[in-house]
Amino acid sequence: MHDTLLSTLILTPGAAGLLLLLLAPRRADTFVRWAGLVTSLATLALAGMAWARFDASNPGFQLVEQRAWLPQIGISYSLGMDGIALVLVLLTALLQPLVFISSWLSISKHVKGYVSAMLLLETGVLGAFLATDLFLFYVFWELMLIPMYFIIGVWGGERRIYAAVKFVLFTLAGSLLMLVGILYLGYLHHAQHGTWSFAYSDMLTLDIAMGSGFWGSPQLLLFAAFALAFAIKVPVWPLHTWLPDAHVEAPTGGSVILAGILLKLGTFGLMRFNRPLFPEAWEAATPLFMTLAVVAIIYGAFVAWAQKDIKKLVAYSSVSHMGFIILGLFAGTVASTQGALIQMINHGLSTGALFMLVGVIYDRRHTRLIEDFGGLATVMPAYTFAFLLATLSSIGLPGLNGFVGEFLILAGAFAKHPIAVACGATGIVLGAVYMLSLVQRVFWNALVHEENRTLADLTWREWLAFAPLAVFMVWIGVQPGTFLALSEAAVRQLIGG
Amino acid sequence: MTSNDLLAILPELALVLGGGVLVLAEVFAPSLRRAFGVLAAATAAGALTLRWTLAADSLVFSAALRIDDLARFVDTYVLVAVILAALVAVPYLDRTRQAFGEFYGLLLWAAAGAMVMAKTDHFLVVFVGLELLSISLYVLSAFHRTSGVSLEAGWKYLVVGAFAAAILLFGIALAYGATGTFSLAEVTAKAAARELHPTPLLLAGLAFILAGFAFKLAVVPFHAWAPDVYQGSPTPVTALLSVVPKGAVLVVLARIAAAFAPATLTPQWLPMLAAVAVASMTLGNLVAIAQRDLKRMLAYSGIAHMGYALVGLVAFGRDGLAGVLVYFAAYTLMNIAAFAVVAAFSESEDEPHLLTDLAGQGWQRPVLAFALSIAMFSLAGIPPTVGFTAKFLVFRAAINDGWVWLAVVGVLNSLVSAFYYVRVVFYLYMKPLPKREPDYAEPWTIRLVAAGCAAGVVGFGVLPAWLLGLAEAAAAALVR
Repeated sequence: MHDTLLSTLILTPGAAGLLLLLLAPRRADTFVRWAGLVTSLATLALAGMAWARFDASNPGFQLVEQRAWLPQIGISYSLGMDGIALVLVLLTALLQPLVFISSWLSISKHVKGYVSAMLLLETGVLGAFLATDLFLFYVFWELMLIPMYFIIGVWGGERRIYAAVKFVLFTLAGSLLMLVGILYLGYLHHAQHGTWSFAYSDMLTLDIAMGSGFWGSPQLLLFAAFALAFAIKVPVWPLHTWLPDAHVEAPTGGSVILAGILLKLGTFGLMRFNRPLFPEAWEAATPLFMTLAVVAIIYGAFVAWAQKDIKKLVAYSSVSHMGFIILGLFAGTVASTQGALIQMINHGLSTGALFMLVGVIYDRRHTRLIEDFGGLATVMPAYTFAFLLATLSSIGLPGLNGFVGEFLILAGAFAKHPIAVACGATGIVLGAVYMLSLVQRVFWNALVHEENRTLADLTWREWLAFAPLAVFMVWIGVQPGTFLALSEAAVRQLIGG
Repeated sequence: MTSNDLLAILPELALVLGGGVLVLAEVFAPSLRRAFGVLAAATAAGALTLRWTLAADSLVFSAALRIDDLARFVDTYVLVAVILAALVAVPYLDRTRQAFGEFYGLLLWAAAGAMVMAKTDHFLVVFVGLELLSISLYVLSAFHRTSGVSLEAGWKYLVVGAFAAAILLFGIALAYGATGTFSLAEVTAKAAARELHPTPLLLAGLAFILAGFAFKLAVVPFHAWAPDVYQGSPTPVTALLSVVPKGAVLVVLARIAAAFAPATLTPQWLPMLAAVAVASMTLGNLVAIAQRDLKRMLAYSGIAHMGYALVGLVAFGRDGLAGVLVYFAAYTLMNIAAFAVVAAFSESEDEPHLLTDLAGQGWQRPVLAFALSIAMFSLAGIPPTVGFTAKFLVFRAAINDGWVWLAVVGVLNSLVSAFYYVRVVFYLYMKPLPKREPDYAEPWTIRLVAAGCAAGVVGFGVLPAWLLGLAEAAAAALVR
């Protein structure tokens, strides 16, 4: 089959990034910025085309592409898109141009490198969502590492080196064991069917023994190898310690991509690989992950509450929110899984917007400490409105997107896991506490710092970057059915109900 | 000796004669010095072409030399390494005023030695090839005869190398005592007829042979010479030294392993190799973290990489051997890319090549820095580079053969190694330029070599099927 839409979608940003890196003249910053924006818009258009051709009633992979790659050992270049991948691809393609718009002026050194790294990163992300061969998935998964290392390490804040190295080592630690897991799956296929294969569909046919104990159970060991890689990416408490550093030190655009998209790869991986490939191990691990999810929700919320730095606060809120998604996934009903998926999108939109907005005042004041602000509502009314909207979306106000996801997760999980839901629900209250107290301290209270009196409100460029996110926050909140329908068939098949 | 015999070793003859011509040209036509490097590269390229035009299925010189797909594969990366090293050497020797014909002559002779050694079935011919290779390299290491570190490097390499040669020879003698033959083909026949037994004599012989070769491979515990020799040798020589002898020795080890049928005849062989592999990976990577000098860091990285390659030999079989061969092709490209750039990033040979000297160069010298970064990511085994493909193949063979724990040790080591490889990239791009900007030359040949190797590293990483096909054909020549 030679449909090339998905390949074009994946490779467009990366190819443009490489061309820019190798060919663009050194000082043509404006040209490079435009080239990046146009490329990401073209990618968005391609993602839109994929959406238009997508049949939501079909739970399987669509727009399938398959080519021999390393035929000697059963590795193929194969791509496919189901409903789960589609919504995440759309999120990625939507966020990328907004990142370019929002960091149009705030990135001024080595613009060419920045744009290229972002575009290569997008290729890695899209490829990981769409790969249907485990080897190919791994290649795309690791492809994200190098651009992100550069984005944090070159354009980041004061402690960027520490954060970048920590990010690389944490990510590699997880993914290298996953590599052994992938190899072992290929070996199992060889043992059971006589040929090596790393194709996703072939992996589903494997019979993986549960054995006894942990070290004696291939399925549990494989589950652990994959889950570790994904849990670090999510991040699941207690593997989250790289996240605050990476988020805080990354430039605004890097934080948006990191929080908005890269974290989703962890939960996506759990959904795509761990659940269908190792169903019994999944069952066995459910209590553990439920507990970790609840701990993450509450711990993340309390730590966020205690932060003095706005960006750090948003970063820790991610730990809490990702806990909800894990809870939804492991609760394992159709509703909770759908909720987890839509919550991935919501978190991408609202946290992406929050990081972008934190970047806005950081660009003006070069500080992110809460105590340096106060009373901004009178000086920057439009900015206040935008921040409040993103906050309300993040804490799950009915009518906005966050509510839909949290409600579905909790409602779907309640029947089987009432205690976890009860504990998790306190996280929603805590979320309101720390976010609203942030809003109060930054925007309401008295305006005590003179230098804040002259701050300029949102520029048209910043509006342009924020508006699409706002539209989707409201759209998903008011009419979630449109988006839920995309992934319904795929999720039903995944859950087997 | 028939004309058929001579025809089959035409590439080696070309190298030996070409080397001789260059040495004589130094005496009789020193005005041609500027062209020596290119001539040497051209000779090696000619030999490479010859090797691929000649048929690869002959047994010549009374069955002492076996010209098969495996031999052709090894010849290819030996000659590619020589071509690249010669190109790196041109500006380098110009700068250090050492552009003598002997340098290139020795380079070609070393290649001939490695090629002979890798394609023989006879222990004594192995030894002769090894000595031709080693003696050429001893001289090359000390080629900066006015520099103390270079002389020290050559001297150390000579002493340790002679010691290793003696151990190897002793092992060969013991093995001869146990088997009654120097020929691996006859050993294979005897093993098949169940006439060989794992007597203490044979095991001791094999252990000494392994130890002798382990010196050449610079694997733990026979690695101590490597950092000093790497650091002191002229950088193009280090580049050559880090790939050619190791590649040839690994193939000899593979031939020995195939002949002695490791799984049945000498099961002791496998745990021994596995232990050496684990020790090399672990020690090499851990100590590399502490290095401040790039060449020393790459020496320890080389020790670790030989450990990875040995994993492929532990998992012996077609898959394992093909993995080792791909590993070597990959290692050649990424290591020579790294050393080419190191050769450019230094102001004077007597000074150490400090990591800190790279600070900020990423934005000053984009081509070289980018090539070095790609080499580092490839050495760390991060896709989409050929370094990743190679590691994948080796670990795959290990898992396939039941050595899952060895693969796990291997990937954990990759994690450790990522730390120091990524640090190089960190210096290049994330450290500010020092106040006094270093005065690095950036000659076009080095740019060409570095960019070419980097392109190869990424190219074979994205499309490895052809390379793997060659390696599998080569492995099939030895293991059926």
